[in-house]
Parts: sequence; structure tokens; C-alpha cells
Amino acid sequence: MGKDKQIQYEPVDASPAKSFFVTMFTRDIRLEEAILDLLDNCVDGILRSKKRNSGKKPYEGFKAEIVFKKDSFMISDNCGGIPWSLHDYAFRLGRAKNRPADEPGTVGVYGIGMKRAIFKMGADCLIWTKNGEHEYDVHITPKWIADEENWNIPVSPAKKSMQEDGTTIIIENLYPGINARFSSDAEDFESELRRMVATHYAFIIDKGFEVSINKKAVTPRPVKLIFAAGDGKAKRIRPFIFKTRTDDGVDVFLAVGFTRPMPTEEEIATEPEEVRYSSIDAGWTVLCNDRAVLYCDRSELTGWGEAGVPRYHTQFIGISGIVEFRCDDASKLPTTTTKRGIDAASPLYLQIKNKMREGMRVFIDYTNEWKGRVEEAKKHIEEEKAIPFDEVKVAAGKLTLRSTTKTIPKGNQYKPELPSPKKLEPRKRRISFVKDVKEIESVAEHLFDDKDADPSSVGERCFDLILKEARR
Amino acid sequence: MRHSAYQLRPNKAVDRLFLIEAIRRLDRLARLREYTYYGLGGPYLEDFRLLYELYPEIKMVSIEEDADTVKRQEFHLPCAVETLTLEKAKFKSYLAHYEPNDKKSIFWLDYTGLSYGNFEDLMVLLGKVSEKSMVKITLRAQPSDFIDQQNESLGSRAERFRRQFGALMPDSAADPPRDFWDFACLLQDMVQVAAQKALPGAVPLMFQPVSSFYYSDGTGIFTLTGVVCRRDAAAETKKAFEDLHFCNLTWAKPKHIDVPVLSTKERLHLQNLLPCSSSAGRTLREALGYLIDKDRESTEAKLKQYADFHRYYPYFMRAVP
Repeated sequence: MGKDKQIQYEPVDASPAKSFFVTMFTRDIRLEEAILDLLDNCVDGILRSKKRNSGKKPYEGFKAEIVFKKDSFMISDNCGGIPWSLHDYAFRLGRAKNRPADEPGTVGVYGIGMKRAIFKMGADCLIWTKNGEHEYDVHITPKWIADEENWNIPVSPAKKSMQEDGTTIIIENLYPGINARFSSDAEDFESELRRMVATHYAFIIDKGFEVSINKKAVTPRPVKLIFAAGDGKAKRIRPFIFKTRTDDGVDVFLAVGFTRPMPTEEEIATEPEEVRYSSIDAGWTVLCNDRAVLYCDRSELTGWGEAGVPRYHTQFIGISGIVEFRCDDASKLPTTTTKRGIDAASPLYLQIKNKMREGMRVFIDYTNEWKGRVEEAKKHIEEEKAIPFDEVKVAAGKLTLRSTTKTIPKGNQYKPELPSPKKLEPRKRRISFVKDVKEIESVAEHLFDDKDADPSSVGERCFDLILKEARR
Repeated sequence: MRHSAYQLRPNKAVDRLFLIEAIRRLDRLARLREYTYYGLGGPYLEDFRLLYELYPEIKMVSIEEDADTVKRQEFHLPCAVETLTLEKAKFKSYLAHYEPNDKKSIFWLDYTGLSYGNFEDLMVLLGKVSEKSMVKITLRAQPSDFIDQQNESLGSRAERFRRQFGALMPDSAADPPRDFWDFACLLQDMVQVAAQKALPGAVPLMFQPVSSFYYSDGTGIFTLTGVVCRRDAAAETKKAFEDLHFCNLTWAKPKHIDVPVLSTKERLHLQNLLPCSSSAGRTLREALGYLIDKDRESTEAKLKQYADFHRYYPYFMRAVP
């Protein structure tokens, strides 16, 4: 290239394209998760409103109603509304650096949840909010979405008056895929959404928050752990507990234990074809400021199948754990932008995961030790009570926790001593054998008049009968 | 291998004849000779016998995993093997290899139990069959299977139900109902959710219900029949079945079948009063002149059932071999 003909390069336009936010950004998140993001905003509203009750039910009196139809979606809450001082944040795509500090405990970090949910569903959205003296409407229209140049959204005084501080979002002009989910797939979608709210919001609903979907209240499904009463010294079933507060102010509380008795050999053997569970409580639930960001995960993400912990298998169906991260500054929590996932590379989470695996190991070892003696082991659990996470935290306060200052992460922990099996008497031997299911049913019917009788009882009875005959 | 005698299950017999009636209406969508019927026929191949008598042009395949039952089926073959093929296979394995290649099918998933695997089969099947195919699923609907006994607070039966079926329940936190009707309704809701999972709104095919019933011949049963059709052909499909007695084209609540046990003499006596459109129960009770159940109300309810279903109620008679 000749020196005389030097090309002049102009600055390139790197401004964001609106269509990217509307059509591409929304692909990163499932519809159900996008709606959970809207519920997160409701809860953040409660925290901001400072009207929370003290005690066990801090969210009592606050509610969110979700109603979806073939041609519209609505979420309405009484959770304080969007303060006018935050309008720039609430309606801007992404969180600006100069944004005022938010109230402690809120989970909004990236400034995209509400907008992403709206853009995912439809092209016409009315946001109607009341916060104190401010009561205003924000209307996002198809015309605004199509206009790449105009980034200003018009705001007008509310056309109707709201009784309480709160927000109502109505989305219409639904996209075809969303319209199908709300009409031809409505039953499947409602079932899935209800299940996700019941599990991910279990802890908040338990604390008084009410969520309804199409006018029917959501019943929470909290994970409960077996926790024997007492001072923790006797060998009984209790969870492994670890708690700490990091240098930058994140409180962590971890509990892992049993939710139910060990499965019988029969249950394990028939699981692949006959029993099959579509909804299992086993695995890890991770909470960030009360919201479940992972629910009953049984993958490497939560320590299964790595560093000495076996992969999840039906025999571990009774093992369940909960980790709670709590911090006033949500940016320190190990969540992803969807708030429905864990940032697996977070140094804090990686440290805590060591403890999660350590805790799991206690219950995996117990399961292995009691293998083949499930009926005996069942009694340890049936004698005790399963309690929800909040009660686990209270009960843990009565135990003596040992300081773990020499290991990382530092903190305090309780490692339960679980019942261990006595060795079989030297004069006793175990007999186990495998027979065809149909043959077992025939013998069960012959002996007990019940083809579904427990196979081990069938085997034992056969032995006793032959023994009697042999000794005649 | 124990099987119930089919002649002792009058409600199931009614349900079976309902299927036959529904199949008759399939010819409004396509020629019946284009269809193949697949069933889990049991040792007597009763549904196959009926189909062969009424629609000999339909090819049939029986799928059965138990070797002795297959031998009994061979003994009871109602027609030549060119028309009815007996396959010895697990249904799941058969389903994995089933390729419709655009041919139309009629499947009866006639289960005697209730497991998540049954719904998985349904979902796999709905995803595979070609349009205008009919699928009927029959499931055990016995609420007492999931009612907790005393001292069963942990690992309870209700919890077991939720663990097994939570992904299909309208409310995964709810207890399974204790009432037969409610339980049957829940199973229908679960079939609907499963059908929507298998054929979501984004695909051009859908599962259009045709009829749904619940009954008990000793054990509670729920059954639903539907047709896989193109979404834009739903109206045409509904029209094909709209004159089917007790059709359910809108996922309405299932209809109860509870026919009374009547002697042949009694049935012949009532014959000339049927069909009877108003106060059928009372009319038939008065015609009999006595109660056939514990009181007047339940007698009339039973006779109303007979009036509703008498055309589908087979005669069981002693025959000279």
C-alpha cells in the first residue's frame, strides 16, 4: 500500500442494538425463570419498603398474584412499588455505576430481570406502580421496541389509583411461543410454574409471603431434614452443620442430612423400570437471601461425583442438603445473572463446596455401612422428626459447634456421630439371592395371599418352613 | 401369571365397546384399513377378537412379555397370524423400536398399575405416532394405594406419590385425593400435562381427547382415549367424534361407568323401554318393580347407568362348546 493513499478509519458504532435485548438476550432464560425474576422484584420491593414484620413471618401481609391467559400475562403485588428515585435503574437496561445503594438483602444486581421478562413475553407492556406519593404508568409499546433510536420510555401519571403501594405489570401482544405456552400448553405450564414457585420460594412463602397463580395459592414445598432432639452427643440422626461469616460479610449456613429412610433394595432394584421418580427431594438446595437459586441439584455443581464423593444414585435418595448465603450486598452472592443458578467459579462457593462434600460424606458412609440392613436403619429415622430449614437453624444453636480455624473455609461445624451397625453375631450369616419377579410373586401369593409381599419376608418365610421340615 | 376373567368385569367390557365405537368414527378421518391396532391384550385377546369381528381390515399387533401368556394368546388367536401378530417383548422395548413410517396406529396402553413409567410410555408414544392415530391409556386409579397408614409419617405414601408424579401433577405440593372421582380427575389432569409435554404448542401436532371414563370392577380404573391430530385440524377431528355418546372433546371431567349386574331375563324385560331420555332410572325401576341396590336412590342411579350404557353392555351367556 502506497504511503500517499492511507485509508482514514472512522470510529465504529458500538452502541447497543435494542433488538439484541428484545430478541437475543431473552433466549438465555426459560419463561418460568423469567417469571421468578419478576417475583424476585416483588420481594426486593418488600425489603425496600421497610414494612417487614419482625419474627417468624417477616413477609406476612405481602402477596403477588400471577394471572396468565391466552393473550395476556399479569403480575400484581402489594410490595411497595417502584420508588421514583429508582426509576432510572428500574427501567434502564443494565445497572448504571452511579446507581444509589439498594436496601440490604435485595437480590437485583444486574438490572435486567424485569426488562428481560417483559421482552421475553410480549411487545406491549404496561407497568403501573404506586410508591408513596408517586403513582405512575410506564408503557412499553411495539412501536418503541421497533425504534432502534429512541431509548426514552414515556412515563405518565397513573390513570387509576392503587389502594396500596405496589406494582402491576400487564403484558399483551404476546409472542407466538409464549401465547402457545399460555393456551395450548396452559396446564403443563401452570404445573411447572407452580412447582418452581413452590420449591424456589418455599422459604419465603413459609415466612408469610403469598403467591397465587391463576387465583390459586401456591403451597410451599420446603426441604425438611431429620433432626434428633437432644444435645447432639448421643448417636442419633442429625444433620452435618457448618456456619461461617466471610471477611466481606457473607453469612453462610450449611446443613446436610437425611430427609427420609434409606431406600430398600427392592426400591433400588425396581427404580429403573417400575417406580421411577419424577420429582425427588434428594440433592442440594442453595439459597441466596431466602431465594432458592438451585433446587435439589444432584450434579457435580454441588459436589456429587467429584473429589471422593460418588455420583448420585438411587441409594442416596434420602440425602439432602441446604446451603444458605446471606448478604446485604447481593453482588457478593455466588449467583448468575438469571439468579436461578450458581456461579460455579465463585471462590466463596468453591470453598463452601468443600464443606458440602465433607458433610455429604458422613451420610454416604452411613448408607454404605447399613447396606443390606435397611429395615434396621429405617428405625433410626422413623423415630425422629423431620424439620424445615428455619427450625434446623434454631436447633443447631443448641448443639456444640467445633471451630474449624485451621481449615478453609474457617467457621464452626457440627459433625454428627450416626448410629453404626453392630457386627453380626459370629453364629449368624446373611443369605441373599436373586429370583425372577414373577416367581417371587407366585410364592408370595402362596405364602401370604399377597403377591406384593416384601421379597425379603418371602425368602425368610421359605427358609423358616424348610428349617422346620428339616428338623422334624 | 394371574389374570382376571374378562367376563367378570362388566364395566371394562362397556369401556372396551366404547373404544370399538370410537374406532368406527376414525373412518371419518382416514380409511380404517390404513390403521394398525397395537394392544396389551392379555391371555384372551378379547379386544382383538372384537376388532377382528367388526373391522377385519385393521391389522393387529399384540405386545406381551410373558412367555406363557403369549402361549395362551396363541391358543386364543381369533384370526390368522397375517392379521394378528403376537410379539413377545417388553412394551418399553417395543416402543423404542416402533417406527410408524407415516402409517396410522391405534394404541391401547392397557396398564393394570400406576407408575411414572406409564406416563413416560405415553409421552414417547405421542411423540412418535403419525397424525390421525388414536391412543387410549388405562391406569389404576385406587386412592387407597396412597392413603397413609398409621405410623407412616416418613417416606409416606402421599410423599411417594408426589415423588413419583410431581412433575405431572397440577400442584406438586398437594396430597393425592382420597375420593375415587377426585383421583380419576387428577389422573386425567396428569395425562393432559403429559400430552402437552410430549406435544408442546410449538409443534404442529396435538393430542385431542375423545372420551374419558372411570370405573371399578373391584379395582378403580381411569381411562382416556384421544387422537393425535394437526392443530389446524382440531375442529375437523372433534367433528368426527361429536356424535359419539359421552364423548369428551374438551378435557371435561371423566364420566363414571357403573353398570348394574342384571340377569338376561331382566335385561330383556327392560329392552323395550330403551332408549329412555327422561327419568330413566325411575322408569326402569318401576318397570322392574323391585330394588336392585340398597335403596331407591342407588337403584335408580344404577338403572340410569344401565340406560346410558346398555348398548355397550355385552351379554354373557352359557354356550355349548
